[in-house]
Amino acid sequence: MKVKVVTRILEANDRIAEENMRRFREAGVYVVNLMGAPGAGKTTLLERTILGLKGSLRIGVIEGDIAGTDDAERINNTGVPVVQINTGGACHLDANMISEVLPDLPLSELDILVIENVGNLVCPAEFRVGEDVKVMLLSVTEGHDKPLKYPLMFRESSVMILNKIDLLKHLDVDMNKIKRDALSLNPSMKIFEVSGKTGEGIDRWTEWLKGQRSQ
Amino acid sequence: MHEASIVLSLLDTLTNRCREEGYSSIESVRIKIGMASGIMPEAIVFAFEAAKQDTIARDAELFIEMVPVGGSCSDCRNDFEVSEAYVVNCPLCGSHSFKIQKGYELDIVEMEVNE
Ligand SMILES: Nc1nc2c(ncn2[C@@H]2O[C@H](COP(=O)(O)OP(=O)(O)O)[C@@H](O)[C@H]2O)c(=O)[nH]1
Ligand SMILES: [Mg+2]
Ligand SMILES: [Zn+2]
Repeated sequence: MKVKVVTRILEANDRIAEENMRRFREAGVYVVNLMGAPGAGKTTLLERTILGLKGSLRIGVIEGDIAGTDDAERINNTGVPVVQINTGGACHLDANMISEVLPDLPLSELDILVIENVGNLVCPAEFRVGEDVKVMLLSVTEGHDKPLKYPLMFRESSVMILNKIDLLKHLDVDMNKIKRDALSLNPSMKIFEVSGKTGEGIDRWTEWLKGQRSQ
Repeated sequence: MHEASIVLSLLDTLTNRCREEGYSSIESVRIKIGMASGIMPEAIVFAFEAAKQDTIARDAELFIEMVPVGGSCSDCRNDFEVSEAYVVNCPLCGSHSFKIQKGYELDIVEMEVNE
């Protein structure tokens, strides 16, 4: 007998993501799912963001890594609440992993929760975790072929942060092509250009975050 | 890769459905994967063969329909399909103004079950 089962394959994950989102709403916290390749500069951007928002918004962080606690320690040094998830091999965070660590965070005392996903340009894009916004970080050193090679990540992310622009002068990379191709995949994408090293452009990103939070 | 998690979620959804409806086993499963989803069908098949063993889908065959990326052009008003995983402009008139309508699927279509 044939039975129609018309649903997303990741329905089980989506359902837990919705439950997470309900908890976030209840606590009044705005949630950012920060994705990007290993080494793109996600943790550095986070450190800068925390510094930039000090005194105006209360941030909490979930660090997702395959193994290790280096990133969580870096965030811990900035003084904000942080929880480490080790996925033990999985190349992405899923909604259930997030759900399990929520009791370890003072959610109702936070304005923004940033989830640093496992470093990967493919897999995290498929798994909702209950976020308000998906933000992808692409370092200009990764080259201008990335949007068309990894279309899903660019399509799913409402925001793209182009990082390491301090290195542009040493590189043979066409940043306009990155932006053009990204916009062809996702016409409403919001794009920021920053350097996690020099701090250039970070203020535009933090201002945008503040605006989102107050909506 | 994330194909293993995807297959576990697939089997979860199907076996739950069978439990609810009282079906005893699954004979076949049909799914749709968009060409832009970044998912490799070979890896899905491989993961499915491994993960199905301890479930009521242990004898199930998996059929995968790959869906090409396609959309409709806002200028020439035609629908199109491409062989790449992305569209930069309308392949018919070159316009940059188009809407993608398919190619990102990760969907279950149906299963064949025994009562
Ligand atoms: N030149 C330069 N290096 C950066 C920038 N942002 C991060 N890095 C360096 O890139 C490396 C990886 O950064 P990290 O934040 O750990 O990346 P993650 O793996 O995405 O979290 C570190 O050595 C950083 O110092 C930047 O804007 N410019
Ligand atoms: Mg990191
Ligand atoms: Zn056209």
